[in-house]
Amino acid sequence: MDFITNPLSLLILLPAAAGLALLAVPPEKEEALKGLALAATLLTFLVSLKLYAGFDPAQAAMQFPLNKLWLPSFGINYFLGIDGISLLLIMLTTLLMPVAVLASFNYIKESRRAYYVCLLFLEASMIGVFAALDLFVFYLFWEGMLIPMYFLIGIWGGPRRVYAALKFFIYTMAGSVLMLVAILWVAAAHHAATGSWTFSLPALYGTVLTARAQFWLYAAFALAFAVKVPLFPFHTWLPDAHVEAPTAGSVLLAGLLLKMGIYGYIRLAVPLFPAAARQFAPWLAGLGVAGIIYGSLVAWSQRDMKKMVAYSSVAHLGTVMLGIMVFEPAAVAGAVLQLVHHGLSTGALFLLVGLLYERRHTRMIDDYGGLAKVMPAFSAVFMVVTLSSVGLPGLNGFIGEVLVLFGSFRVYPWLAGAAVAGVILSAVYMLGMYQQVIFGPLRHTENKVLPDLSLREWLYLAPLLVFIALIGVWPNPFLRRAMPAVNGYISLSRQNTAPAPVEVKIALGGEEER
Amino acid sequence: MSADPLAYAASALSGPLLLVLAAFACLLLPLFVKQLRGAQGLIALGAVLVAIAFFKRAPEAELAFFDEALLLSPLTAYLWAFALAVLALVIALSISRRAAPEESQGEYYFLLLMAALGLMVLVAAGDLFTAFIALELLSLPVYALAGIRRSKPGLEAAYKYFMLGAFGSGMTVMGIAILNALYPALTFTALKTGPAQPLALAGFLLVISGFAFKTALVPFHMWVPDAYEGAPTQVSTLLAAAVKAGGVVVLWRLFSLFDGGPVHKIFWWLAAITAVSANLMALGQKGLKRLLAYSSVAHAGYLAVAFFGGRRGFEAVLYYLPVYAMATIGAFSVALLLEKDEKGPLIEDLAGLARARPWLAGAMSAFMFSLAGVPPLAGFFAKFYAFAGAVNGGYTGLVVIAIIMSAVSIYYYLKVTVVMYMKPPANGRTAEAPGLLEAVIFLMAAGVLLAGLFSRPLLACAAEASRWF
Repeated sequence: MDFITNPLSLLILLPAAAGLALLAVPPEKEEALKGLALAATLLTFLVSLKLYAGFDPAQAAMQFPLNKLWLPSFGINYFLGIDGISLLLIMLTTLLMPVAVLASFNYIKESRRAYYVCLLFLEASMIGVFAALDLFVFYLFWEGMLIPMYFLIGIWGGPRRVYAALKFFIYTMAGSVLMLVAILWVAAAHHAATGSWTFSLPALYGTVLTARAQFWLYAAFALAFAVKVPLFPFHTWLPDAHVEAPTAGSVLLAGLLLKMGIYGYIRLAVPLFPAAARQFAPWLAGLGVAGIIYGSLVAWSQRDMKKMVAYSSVAHLGTVMLGIMVFEPAAVAGAVLQLVHHGLSTGALFLLVGLLYERRHTRMIDDYGGLAKVMPAFSAVFMVVTLSSVGLPGLNGFIGEVLVLFGSFRVYPWLAGAAVAGVILSAVYMLGMYQQVIFGPLRHTENKVLPDLSLREWLYLAPLLVFIALIGVWPNPFLRRAMPAVNGYISLSRQNTAPAPVEVKIALGGEEER
Repeated sequence: MSADPLAYAASALSGPLLLVLAAFACLLLPLFVKQLRGAQGLIALGAVLVAIAFFKRAPEAELAFFDEALLLSPLTAYLWAFALAVLALVIALSISRRAAPEESQGEYYFLLLMAALGLMVLVAAGDLFTAFIALELLSLPVYALAGIRRSKPGLEAAYKYFMLGAFGSGMTVMGIAILNALYPALTFTALKTGPAQPLALAGFLLVISGFAFKTALVPFHMWVPDAYEGAPTQVSTLLAAAVKAGGVVVLWRLFSLFDGGPVHKIFWWLAAITAVSANLMALGQKGLKRLLAYSSVAHAGYLAVAFFGGRRGFEAVLYYLPVYAMATIGAFSVALLLEKDEKGPLIEDLAGLARARPWLAGAMSAFMFSLAGVPPLAGFFAKFYAFAGAVNGGYTGLVVIAIIMSAVSIYYYLKVTVVMYMKPPANGRTAEAPGLLEAVIFLMAAGVLLAGLFSRPLLACAAEASRWF
């Protein structure tokens, strides 16, 4: 059974099967539900370690391929495979999932069973997005992810959860339906050229399309991914969704879902339509930089910590967008590292804010202050994560940011210069928030009795801290694995698949070919 | 299996004959045998199950009978199997919750079986006359079924449906008369090869609008919301799942008589207007049955989009019909389960369903997500196949319109899940012992969940059937 022996397929099936199994547990057995969910996510993480160990960093081709006939009449295959970039994102997913489950133990008090089922289905579909090499399979996971996330926000979210959940679902769905038409168009074009139906990405790379067709197709893909990233000005769903989602939901939204948009550009949009991608690149990079500035400024003005972290995500993802749109090895590699960094540090920030919220039921900066005295361990962890988020050298945020800026400076010096302003701004608001929450006098008496980190909280923060420090001082193992994929992305983006403007008509036996 | 075509035809035609026998048995037997009163549903269900059990795989050929009036092919077999399955489900719904008053039980099942017979003849019809007669055989019982409760909403539904339906039939007859004057034969094969004439175009348009009434394409949809809402929910289910399918098949036959030209242009506009306006009108609906009615109109639009994919598109249509039927039968069954008066529940009556009956709410969300076309549910696969053909045929613009409107439709389908999961219950809901109705609901939910991811067998059947067109 290849479905089980192939680790990628196993990584998708395992959480999905665990989610189904959880449905069989009676809802009142809380401990069993929590234990099973945690065990399933930990097991998935262990399987992903095997993936990491078996991954050959030198190889540029897709690894762990699995190609099974699924719907032959449409040429749709269950086709999976990963390169270095997908590997890192899958590892990030499997790492963050047990953390999210552990962080939900006390926070989620009602309909626990449905909650953990949603989390597990979400994990399966996210891994599916990062592992899919067939456009149909990709789209299936891409959209399938919406249902569990919609319920996570809508049922277990904050006071405005219904609005946020609807907005999230409709924005992302509306963004991606045109991508479905574009997918169909590409497949039809490939069918017209070769006579065979396929949705396989490697087969569709290099499909010759006119510049005009590429323009519209790329626009459809870019819109879907821009909503998900979210690129300024398509970001308006993000603050609502992030703020209203339960802590684990925000962690997964920021840590993983946003990565799917960037991943879409790297895996689908740019390699499929390189000519249009080059044409659009300055604009997308510009929007990325606009997002950096805008996100930072709005974050600066927030008094709600969760909102601030949410807007800082817009800024961070803007940096990543700049990185992948310059098609320079350093910048793209930096963007990939920045993705992993953002997943870890923003995830950790949401966890820490959630932790405070569980204790005090408020997220307002003004309700805190002087926490260093009552929660020393919390303050120390918060410090590390904040510094990582602003890109302190020695922690993981620095290396990616610097690589992106170095790489993009050669191509778009002005944009890179503007991006630096965003980096400075992020230090201003993050450190400002840290200072107001942790230092200063203890203004509110309620805060005097706040307990420090519990063992469970240490347990889920520790892995994030380890990787924050590890990637900061020793990024090489991760970079080395991503490099072949980064180079592959750049060489695909340089392909010339748009034919010369004048199409040559060939007459065959008096019959003109269309 | 016997290779003799006549033997196959005899066994295939015995299915509809059995329905006729059962119909009269339902109507007459209880008059003489007192013990059978109230058991008409079981007679009807038994007959349909026997017909399904003896259903035979069709030989790989098209058999024409009565001067091509009736065509038996794998396509007919596919559609008959579909019709029998829908009929069995509607009867099951009618047994679990009585649709007609006690004294009208016999008439109810008689009319139901007759309508099913009409549908079976309609999809097998090889010429326009037969199609028209079958259409009337299908429609007249359904008009009566809509008003069988003789209550005010029911009668209003029946009256509106009858008036507009009769108008549609009149147009069809007029069109057939024109075509009859122009062409020597009215079989579809003869019409395809017949020379184009301006007057014939008028005839075709009249016939097409008549069938567009049944399929509920905008602007021929006015009867749909009132009829679906006022008719007993069991009958609304039949309208949405089966009557529409009959109309779609005949429309496809008419559509494929032409290669492009004005008729296709008109279909283009019908599909586009239907997809746009039905989805917009559905946004503001408050009643669950009305919502499903507009959703049914919208889906007719998507089906019309699929026509533009040629043979591949028809394959998609054949896959789409059962997938849509499963979701809509399931959703109507939930409405039936919760209904307190004839007009069915309001959407807000579903509030807190997830708390009280989580599995039921789960099934209802599966139906909603499937109708909305969200993966991994079967509705997504159906839309994907439908639109794939049309894009391949070069009708990207139409697909873009349809797909944007299907993104709009997300809003009203999600509204149902919002009410079920995110609103507190309005009043105390009492858990009932599960019965036949729940069995139907969960069967449909399983279908909607599995028919997509494992669509290969159903798609293969649809592909085989579509080749015999």
